[in-house]
Amino acid sequence: MKKIAIAFVFTLLATVGSFAQVDRSKLPASGPAPEIKINEAETFTLDNGLKVFVVKNTKLPRVSFTLVLERDPILEGDKAGMSGFVGEMMMAGTKNRTKDQLDQEVDFIGASLSASSTSMFASSLKKHQGKVLELMADVLYNPVFPQDQLDKLKKQSLTGLAQSKDNPNAISSRLSAAVLYGKNHPYGEVETEATINNITVEDVKSYYSTYFKPNIAYLAIVGDMDKAEAEKVVKQYFGNWQKGEVPKFTYPMPQRASKRAVALVDRSSSVQSVINVTQPVQMKIGDPDYISSRLLNQILGGGSASRLFMNLREDKGYTYGAYSSIGADKLVATISANASVRTEVTDSAVYEFIYEIQNLVENGVTEEELAKAKAELSGSFGRSLEQPATVANFALNIDRYNLPKDYYATYLQKLNALTVADINATAKRLIEPDKFIITTVGNGAEIKEKLAQFGEVIEYDNMGMPAKKLEADASMTAEKVLENYLAAIGGAEKVAAIKTAKISMDANVMGTPLNLAFVYDSQNGRYGQKLSVAGNVMQKTTLADGKGSMSVQGQTMEMNAAQLSEAQLNSYLFPEAVYKANGYTLTLDGLKDVEGTPAYKVIIASASGAKLINYYAQESGLKIKYENPASGDTFYSDYQAKDGVLLPMAWTIKSPQIPVPLEAKVTSMELNVTVTDEDIK
Amino acid sequence: MRKFTALGLIACMLSIPALAQNKIEFKEFTLDNGLHVIMHQDNTTPIVVTSVLYHVGSKNENPERTGFAHFFEHLMFEGSENIDRGQYMNIIQSRGGTLNAYTSNDITYYYELLPSNELELALYMESERMLHSKVDITGVETQREVVKEERRQRYENQPYGTILPETLKRAYQVHPYQWAPIGSMDHLNAATIEEFQQFYKDFYVPNNATLTIAGDIDYATTEKLVRNYFSEIPKGAKEIYRPNVVEPKKTSETRDIIYDNIQIPAVIQAYNLPPRNHPDSYALSMLSTYLTGGNSSLMTKELVDKQQKALVVAAIPLELEDGGVFLMYSITNMGVEPKDLEAEVDRLIKQVQDQGISDEEFAKLKNIMENNIVSGNSTIAGIAENLAEAKVIYGNTNYINQVMDAYSKVTKADIQRVAKEYMDLTGRVVLYYLPKSAQPATE
Repeated sequence: MKKIAIAFVFTLLATVGSFAQVDRSKLPASGPAPEIKINEAETFTLDNGLKVFVVKNTKLPRVSFTLVLERDPILEGDKAGMSGFVGEMMMAGTKNRTKDQLDQEVDFIGASLSASSTSMFASSLKKHQGKVLELMADVLYNPVFPQDQLDKLKKQSLTGLAQSKDNPNAISSRLSAAVLYGKNHPYGEVETEATINNITVEDVKSYYSTYFKPNIAYLAIVGDMDKAEAEKVVKQYFGNWQKGEVPKFTYPMPQRASKRAVALVDRSSSVQSVINVTQPVQMKIGDPDYISSRLLNQILGGGSASRLFMNLREDKGYTYGAYSSIGADKLVATISANASVRTEVTDSAVYEFIYEIQNLVENGVTEEELAKAKAELSGSFGRSLEQPATVANFALNIDRYNLPKDYYATYLQKLNALTVADINATAKRLIEPDKFIITTVGNGAEIKEKLAQFGEVIEYDNMGMPAKKLEADASMTAEKVLENYLAAIGGAEKVAAIKTAKISMDANVMGTPLNLAFVYDSQNGRYGQKLSVAGNVMQKTTLADGKGSMSVQGQTMEMNAAQLSEAQLNSYLFPEAVYKANGYTLTLDGLKDVEGTPAYKVIIASASGAKLINYYAQESGLKIKYENPASGDTFYSDYQAKDGVLLPMAWTIKSPQIPVPLEAKVTSMELNVTVTDEDIK
Repeated sequence: MRKFTALGLIACMLSIPALAQNKIEFKEFTLDNGLHVIMHQDNTTPIVVTSVLYHVGSKNENPERTGFAHFFEHLMFEGSENIDRGQYMNIIQSRGGTLNAYTSNDITYYYELLPSNELELALYMESERMLHSKVDITGVETQREVVKEERRQRYENQPYGTILPETLKRAYQVHPYQWAPIGSMDHLNAATIEEFQQFYKDFYVPNNATLTIAGDIDYATTEKLVRNYFSEIPKGAKEIYRPNVVEPKKTSETRDIIYDNIQIPAVIQAYNLPPRNHPDSYALSMLSTYLTGGNSSLMTKELVDKQQKALVVAAIPLELEDGGVFLMYSITNMGVEPKDLEAEVDRLIKQVQDQGISDEEFAKLKNIMENNIVSGNSTIAGIAENLAEAKVIYGNTNYINQVMDAYSKVTKADIQRVAKEYMDLTGRVVLYYLPKSAQPATE
């Protein structure tokens, strides 16, 4: 009886205990660290050299096949950009299937299939694995590389390149690669219109037949498949893949700058500067400093609690985000710290970047920072294991980098064993604060001088090439530039003789024909501009009787005073002749590189503050560019004489509002004709 | 004997589900205070996700105080009696975790993903939030500014960002779905601190919440920890307010033009949907995939590739508890009039209504759906969310294992039928998004 009573009391106690009040005044302690079990990948190799990793995971009835080619980086030279086409060219049809058939068959089983120059990927539900493997093998063995697909890809690539020339982030990464590695290194070479146009179907075919070889390939199979089944299907689909000799390449190691320098791309329309403080580093997975460099970077700029983020965003408010990275690559990697900041604080931001890097190297990290970084990285390592593909990736890295078999199994132990002294030693070994290149893409007129305090400022163009040395004539003034222009096109007298004009231009945007029509009658204060698509007027601007209106797709809006004054300035065929008389201020902003032509930049400002920017070629005196932050840039070329005055017959309009540059050609131009009210409407 | 074997074989074949779906095991219980708890054990990776779904969204708001539910999603990171202001995220991150939250018209969802030895921390943090979150002036003022920025970034500054609020405003006359979760800044500015505190007392109560824990856990230990941290939280004092109005069927088309900071016009069409747990939801979801899901879908192939009238076209069923909207939007290609594009969209809808879809297309739809459902349960975070929604929206946690069956019941004829029944041109909302430059001058 007693026994029972005691047991009862115990139960009671236990029950009470389990509902006991918890101490809410402090955070619960962490439980004992869980053992991180990393599944072993099973592996086998075919006679043709294909190495296979199988990571079985039956949680979901899915399976994926990832094929990776392990080759040395290649230098593409005058065909730079070619390898970027290989994957899509392979997916563009096979001896057995057109591209449409291939797309339909992949969609039909709800699968994915894709390729790149160094990989292929296929995934589907388990029950469709036969079909998806059949499609993958068809693409791997029988691609036909159709010419029309290459034409399409080239066109897209050229459009992308054109857009990237005005994209500050794209300019920044091109610049960083070019200055760190040089153009004769696989990581530094730059795609241009010329290199893209050079690429032929033969190049793609030759790449494919050289590199798609089983003896340099890994195949990772992840999902609902065991090793026995994997051996069977791999043999069936990849057993007859023929091996072959694959070329090997070595490259000289890029050297760090001997002292700190600034590489600047002047992008005058920028309101933000894209800053990248960078230097090359030799670092690959498995190096002695590899894990400590992950922690080091986490503390410097790895997230929203890092030193850079806290300083540049939280404390100073210079930017939406500031980050750093320390890369890892077999050949060569980079250390970089970057942010996009307001133009006015560009030099202050660079100062803070340098301060943080220097401070890190000289004074090291704290115990608290290291503990937090360890927790963050261990957490993300643990979370990454949920994806079975991570295990395949580990197995692949162990083979690629010759790592000890237990490298990942003991990764967290290695990470957690690192001390403050280890991290500080790594910082000193890897980072040389006085040998950084500070790349900056921004408004040169505002930032160039201020950046000189950090080192020699070397200017580059938007393709990462050293900018042409431009020597402006010191005696040049804005007024003289305009005089030269008027003289170059035929002289003020002949210009004045042209009272009216009707100009019609044709253009084509992605297959849609456009017509632009202009009517100038400045003497009578009249002006008309129409944009039509297939005969329908899409946009119209008219000025007459001291009033102006704009209409878009049939909706008309009267201009307000400010819009009217801007429109009036544009309503002259030769506004240069009237700027002064109409009270505009003219400023000469030096000699600039306009697509390779040195040109004087003249800023024309109205009393109300409206600004207009024109560029006049140094040599010919002709106006070659009109810059407008709102509507985009217009480039003028193909000047021809009409009534003794030179006028541009070709206009190229680049605007954020249109996806591709608009090439407009003059189809008719009538000067000194009668302009009726009907013409303006 | 032979006979039996043959029979057995047939039975076997019949019982093999036509579609692949691995069963998701779970355990659940309810505390005395009404908190419903769902646990899913999966020890393959030593991580654990802890989530709380509060069954409160913008539809539970006072029409004069819209934006409250979403505002709370922000406010609930301010801290609690025991967690210092601004430390919530920091604490989770410094123990190696990540966290996030979202608000819809129906629910507010919070989750933390942590190493599994931090389960107790996650339960502590969520129980602090439920027991005594900080709802004070300082927090309200801080978060007002953050929400203002979010509104700018996601709605006002985002091209086409106002599509959802503008559509909802017109798709509902009586139901509180007429306002979007972001709500009104004026309402948030006008609200007193007492109103915020009352909202917390009304909706952030255990009997309006579902706690889900999934991952590397032990059922018994987890249940004990949950009881330790959550049992003391008092049940809400009054019944949870849930609107019970039914949106009447619209009999005329609503048509409007929105002038936005955009360059290219867009055409929006919205059709009212049945409640989310209605059997027709499955056919409607397959219909949307048929129309615009993937490169080989009807409208993408016809309008984007062939005719090149549209740059993009998308059909999105916004499924809501009391009946959401089937939202279709398309962006015109260069030089295409919105009305020409709209006419083509309508023609293709009519084609489905009149002719239905082919056997092959139907088979493809089933395959795509199957793949999507299987992939939807590929992470423990996804499973936790699906379990919680199954319980709260479908009233049955095991619904997570029945989704595939529900889809397999849809027939080819159903797709045509729901196209006719719900894509009713007379009751729909049509919006043209046009560039601001096209706006006529107003006096």
